[in-house]
Amino acid sequence: MSHVFSYDFRYDDNECETETSILQAQVEDSIGDIYLNFVEPGSFAQGGDAIDDSRHKLLRIKHEQFILDAINGLSSNFSVLDSSQPWFSFWCLNSLDILGCDITQQLRDRVIDKLSRLQCPSGGFCGGSGQLPHLAGSYAAIMAIVLVGDDTAYKTIDRQGMYSWLMSMKRPDGAFTMHADGEVDVRGVYCAMVIASLLNIMTPELVKGAAEFIARCQTCEGGIGPYPGVEAHGGYTLCGLAALDILGKTDALRLDRLARWMSARQLAFEGGFNGRTNKLVDGCYSYWMGGAFPILQKALKRSRTEGYIYDRAALQRYLLACCQDRRAGGLRDKPGKSPDLYHTMYCLIGLSLSQHYVGVEPSEQVTDTTSVYSVPVRMMQWGAMPASLLVLGLRSNVVKPVHPIYSVPYTPLARFVKYFYALPPLAEQLV
Amino acid sequence: MVRIVDNDEEEWLPMSEQEEWSDVVPIPQDDGRNPVCPIAYTDEYREMTDYFRAIMAAGEVSQRAFELSGRVIDANAAHYTAWVYRKKLIIDLGLDIGEELRWVSEISGRHIKNYQLWHHRGALLPLLLDPQDVGRLSQEQRVLIPAIRDELRFVGEVIDNDSKNFHAWSHRQLVVRSYGLWDQEMAYVETQINQDVRNNSAWNQRYFVLTANQSTDDFVLTEDVADREIAYAVEKIKLAPNNESPWSYVIGLLVRHAPAMLYERLLPRINELAADKDYAVAVTSTPFYWSALVDIYEERAKTLDVDERGDVEAFASEACDSLAE
Repeated sequence: MSHVFSYDFRYDDNECETETSILQAQVEDSIGDIYLNFVEPGSFAQGGDAIDDSRHKLLRIKHEQFILDAINGLSSNFSVLDSSQPWFSFWCLNSLDILGCDITQQLRDRVIDKLSRLQCPSGGFCGGSGQLPHLAGSYAAIMAIVLVGDDTAYKTIDRQGMYSWLMSMKRPDGAFTMHADGEVDVRGVYCAMVIASLLNIMTPELVKGAAEFIARCQTCEGGIGPYPGVEAHGGYTLCGLAALDILGKTDALRLDRLARWMSARQLAFEGGFNGRTNKLVDGCYSYWMGGAFPILQKALKRSRTEGYIYDRAALQRYLLACCQDRRAGGLRDKPGKSPDLYHTMYCLIGLSLSQHYVGVEPSEQVTDTTSVYSVPVRMMQWGAMPASLLVLGLRSNVVKPVHPIYSVPYTPLARFVKYFYALPPLAEQLV
Repeated sequence: MVRIVDNDEEEWLPMSEQEEWSDVVPIPQDDGRNPVCPIAYTDEYREMTDYFRAIMAAGEVSQRAFELSGRVIDANAAHYTAWVYRKKLIIDLGLDIGEELRWVSEISGRHIKNYQLWHHRGALLPLLLDPQDVGRLSQEQRVLIPAIRDELRFVGEVIDNDSKNFHAWSHRQLVVRSYGLWDQEMAYVETQINQDVRNNSAWNQRYFVLTANQSTDDFVLTEDVADREIAYAVEKIKLAPNNESPWSYVIGLLVRHAPAMLYERLLPRINELAADKDYAVAVTSTPFYWSALVDIYEERAKTLDVDERGDVEAFASEACDSLAE
């Protein structure tokens, strides 16, 4: 675990300045200023100053207030998210749950009331009322209902309608469109696989070609892009890898090339992740990139006793020192940016997955990919290893462990899965 | 929409007071009693979306529906339903697609990181110019066609402002693939790399141009092309050895299409570079150099019998040790 800070870790531009290196230097300046507050000058160790990580504090009360304020109202500026309304419920509930805040029955009722009005009569959830159903909106709605966590909430979901609608989004090449006449990319496959695996509506027709499509999206760099040929990107990499894990087909990828690309995404000076080669750090990649490591580790059949191949402490340092808005509450992309609900949730998920060491022991991994019941079994095998907990700063910074594929805490996830897998599946076999 | 301009003040006349809309019953947003995260919409936004819901519910195809869709989109460019409806209106009303693309270009300044805008362009372009129609033309002739010239110019402007705009580069792939514009794209890639040798989107595009221009799925990397790409990558590495992009590019290309050439053709060039007194320090102090050696030796080891691997593994271990430091 590194507690060393050094300006030697800054990006070396080889005295060849380009726009990329100039922007990178600016970000490093602002982050260096923050880290210097934690450094005892002159206490050299291994070529750098010793950094005192003991004082980092997760500002739980401020973040809870930020979320509760948003729940009660958003300014007109948020009209640009008017087609992403299910996401508000997901971002708020998941952030509160991970923080360990109480989610009142009143809040649960409000969420269910809202989401049920966003469900399209012919299946799927819409981004707003009177809009078309959308795969990302449907994903967010389902995840929010997972977090509400009771049978009444579950019963609002039109399971058959969802299946019919997912099949109408399915394309012959294995991918999914995000909405009728919409764009096609790896997010669609992830959303569809998450929804189907949770609702117990997986069928051979639904999954056909999905793994092959994702594999075609792996680029020469090793990461995964949205569509074959397009640049490797953190968000799509998590989506592709997670979808493959649901299908039990992570072997469809060149894992060595993926591992190489993923490890290069953690920035030496900042400690956080970027999403693409030569791009800037961003707190949300704490999940998209950081969260991909447990899944990669499982795919590589590494034992849970071996380390993650990224620096967990450095990521937490970035999140706690640089991504919290101390005045307004909430978490953000990087210093200088405003906090928002999206970054709040993804920073907290990233924090959780770096504190709690999660994995599946290779000897226990379910390898069957043909039975529909292998899906929930694979899902529920994930667990945290308490002995490998790593909490930077105050011990009270520890947040709830989350599932790396579904990004929500285990308790509501298990309850949801238990309910839906007691219902008859749509198919017994997935081939 | 009617705006009364009076004494330099613009007054917004609500749609409910406009004669033109008097036949439409607006449909309010169905929110329930106490919704979570209620947005404090402006009256203008609330009203236009209420009327738009009514228009869509009735399936109305008209000029006023088309104009209303434009206003909704300009207020919320992520309103994917409005974009879909607008496209349907354009087709059903037989509207000018060139005009539409110009309108999208105009509003794009405000909405550059938006999926829907790009998807809309990608859907309309083939309606304006059928890819089949360019088949007979040479590539030089194709780039002169106004629709193609304008599209490339628009995307180029976006990239000038935001050199790594993800949607823009992805859209270029669509246009290049649809109309077979490979030669100009390779030239474009080189210009972008010259401007910023660290622009990874441009390096990714280079791989795309090189390999996607095939009638079948299998691209074959010949020795000539491999040598050319290795030389290109090394030339760019020299400018800034601590730049991940050219290393990632050339290794990715060879690993995927001609792994044997990593050891036989890339390694000698890298060794030369590391031995060159002008570059030795910079090259050997970047982790990408050591990482490249590990990759090369790893691939090499796969081709050797177990008892021949000793030396290779020793080299690889040394490289890993350097990386760890």
